[in-house]
Amino acid sequence: MAGTLILVFIYYVAAAAGGAAPPEMLAYIFVGSAFYMFVFQAFFGMFEVIQGDREWFQTIRYIYISPISYYAYIIGRGFTQMVVAGIGVLVVLAIGRGLLGIPIGFNLALLPFFLAVLVLGLFITIAIGVAIGGITFLTARHGGGMSEGIAGVFYVFTGVIFPLSVLPVWGQVFGQWIPLTYWFEALRRVLLERSPPQADAFLMAIPESTLLLILALSLIVVSLLSLAVFRYVEHLARKKGKIDMTTAY
Amino acid sequence: MNREDARVSNPLVLNFRAFIGRAYPRVIGAHRELSWIFFNTLLPLLSVAAYVFVYAALGAPAAFAGFVILGGTMVAFWMNVLWSMAAQLYWEKEIGNLQLYMMAPMSRMALLGGMAVGGMVMTSTRAAATLILGVLIFQIVLVVVNPLLLAGIFLVTLVALYGMGMLFASVYLLYGREAWNISNLLQEPVFLGAGFYFPVQSFQRILGGPGRWIAIGVSLIPMTLGLDAMRQLLFPELLEWAFLPADIELYILIVLAVVFVFLARRALAYIERLAKQEGRLTQRHL
Amino acid sequence: MKDAIRTKELTRVFGGKKRRLRPRDAPEKRVIALDRVDTQVAEGELFGLLGPNGAGKTTLIKILATLLLPTSGSATVAGYDVAKDPYPIRQRINMVSGGETSGYGLLTTRENIWMFSQFYGIPSKVAKAEIDRLLKEFELWERRDAKVRTLSTGERQKMNMVRGFVTDPDIIFLDEPTLGLDVSAARAIRQFIRGWIQENHAKTVLLTTHYMMEADELCDRIAIIDNGRILACDTPERLKGMVKREVTVKLETDRLKDPKAFDVIEGVQNYVVKEEAQTNRTSLTFILEDDAPIGDIMSEVLNQGSKVQSMEKIDPTLEEVFISLVGKGLD
Repeated sequence: MAGTLILVFIYYVAAAAGGAAPPEMLAYIFVGSAFYMFVFQAFFGMFEVIQGDREWFQTIRYIYISPISYYAYIIGRGFTQMVVAGIGVLVVLAIGRGLLGIPIGFNLALLPFFLAVLVLGLFITIAIGVAIGGITFLTARHGGGMSEGIAGVFYVFTGVIFPLSVLPVWGQVFGQWIPLTYWFEALRRVLLERSPPQADAFLMAIPESTLLLILALSLIVVSLLSLAVFRYVEHLARKKGKIDMTTAY
Repeated sequence: MNREDARVSNPLVLNFRAFIGRAYPRVIGAHRELSWIFFNTLLPLLSVAAYVFVYAALGAPAAFAGFVILGGTMVAFWMNVLWSMAAQLYWEKEIGNLQLYMMAPMSRMALLGGMAVGGMVMTSTRAAATLILGVLIFQIVLVVVNPLLLAGIFLVTLVALYGMGMLFASVYLLYGREAWNISNLLQEPVFLGAGFYFPVQSFQRILGGPGRWIAIGVSLIPMTLGLDAMRQLLFPELLEWAFLPADIELYILIVLAVVFVFLARRALAYIERLAKQEGRLTQRHL
Repeated sequence: MKDAIRTKELTRVFGGKKRRLRPRDAPEKRVIALDRVDTQVAEGELFGLLGPNGAGKTTLIKILATLLLPTSGSATVAGYDVAKDPYPIRQRINMVSGGETSGYGLLTTRENIWMFSQFYGIPSKVAKAEIDRLLKEFELWERRDAKVRTLSTGERQKMNMVRGFVTDPDIIFLDEPTLGLDVSAARAIRQFIRGWIQENHAKTVLLTTHYMMEADELCDRIAIIDNGRILACDTPERLKGMVKREVTVKLETDRLKDPKAFDVIEGVQNYVVKEEAQTNRTSLTFILEDDAPIGDIMSEVLNQGSKVQSMEKIDPTLEEVFISLVGKGLD
């Protein structure tokens, strides 16, 4: 919630400083920020699972050598994180609409679309989260830097809290290759009463059915990549003896 | 070894050596695992960039990007205090170091001080990288109004902040495993409260009377006034967003620094005594 | 000779009242870890503490190392009260525990030990020279620049030993220092301890161990502790002498014609005969009232035209002392 409130303050500061800040833009920021909690929670959760088990509780070796697949284990933990994040998202949206009067709605006609988008997006987020979590096998403990930073890539390049058009051209192209860009666009279709004038024309032009197709194909690709990355990183970690290292200093 | 070589009668010398000893792994450790450059410098810049782009999308004056970059620079210190100061004594207990520290003749403040200064030095690299890259990438114009006052405010802010971290370190020992959760809980609200990405005066401007009290309340976090004062001294064109005059903020920060370090000392002695009485100082996983 | 350590009615009770530091879900229970312990260790002594898990050994060491306060009674280390004067004690002591994971994995062996030496205020140059000397003595020199997290268990424990001894303590507490180590690493550590105390007459070692042989081999005196109470405290020889028991003699002979013939010998309380078909030998275990019947037994063997291949008189061991006092072996 704090992260979302920071953005609300930024919005009002910008408005007070003479910026172009229509209420639709606040809704745009608010919805993006609320659903970004899923992404952050997935990444931070994965980081916490692996680094926590490894350095804090030092139980990773026992979990790792148990007959369950570690990949399945952290996916399971990932889903738990999603449930926690889901409650947070609902609370934030309710506060935004109820207390702050932000123009957030729900287009009931798009309910099936919304459900499909939500499920696809969450699976994509977890798959990416697991791959990124796996990389922490190879890295030392540097505070919260890891999850904070990687989540930042998605924060900047997927149009979560500002339209991609604000980015330099290379950044816009990069963002168009990230599946979550389309996820956030699809969610905004359902939850924003009106689009702000700053919204991306490129994304607005994509029909809902195409958004669904993009997300479904992305899920297949991302899942395969995630499994491959995790396996490779796990192999490297075992090779280098880093599965149960402790790196405090 | 000559007995007299080893035993130090001057506590100042002893504590200075202990201080250096504990700072050493902090400074050397971070640079030994090079993954920190990527994770602690380049990636955090992205979060900062996101806020810069939000201001840009909302058509705010360009100087606000400077506000964000400065806030993002100071985030490094807050994260270090939270994760590597406040949670550290508990961490040391889990590793098994705490009992060896508590058994050594040095002052516990030398230990915490070494940890803090080591952390500051290590984090300064990350902070400097964020600042330099941020200034270059977003073409921020810095106008240094009063370099001496700026340096003083920066240093006092760090002393107060790490003093608070030292205080938290003792308090965390009480909560054992929940330490991780406390750090998680504190991280984001402080980003909001201390005004890392927007001027703290906006509490007052946007929320009116109650907002003023919020601003006063969050001024207990040393970063709040430190950031506000540094912004005044670097971005004079946005002086209308200042909360209090910079020199007043410096005085308040000095008081905060003294109070936090004093409280940290008291808390540490209290916790040590309590832990020795209850026998939990040295047992792991409690 | 001065006392290095002295305890009077030293008692430590865990739990039972305050809950400030107790996790919410932990049950409240009162455990008497040390129960009116009186003991003294002289300067220059290598003093052992033998006891099963939970006997109170580590609690005693923690109190003496100023990590824990006594509930009642008193303890002095190097003449200073552990509760009132911890600082002068800390300048004179150090501690090494078995299975210790202290230090930081990213530092090298040398750096790690150096860091700990700084907490005792040892000048860097002096500390480094001493660290190098000790690393060589423990045959850890080759691993001086290896990161701590890459050390094996044995190497790590040797590093811990260097950490403990580099500050040249007057009194060192060694809490199961060879726990879980292989034979050669454990031997290196035992040799070092023995050598250190022989070279430094005024130094004192308080050692807890699970290994009877280690206590027997190293310690000048041993206290047997159980349920927080010291049950016996003396030299290993005298402790073994405490076990009043019959003499056990094991005999191996060529096959005897009449193995039952020993019944009539006076002083033989009992004996067990085992015929070894493969080797064509007889193995006899006698329980005797004392040494006197041994001559008559030998004569009877010879009378039967047989030869004694081997004879072994079994002395009481510390283990038997321990079992007779505590009622169970060390687990």
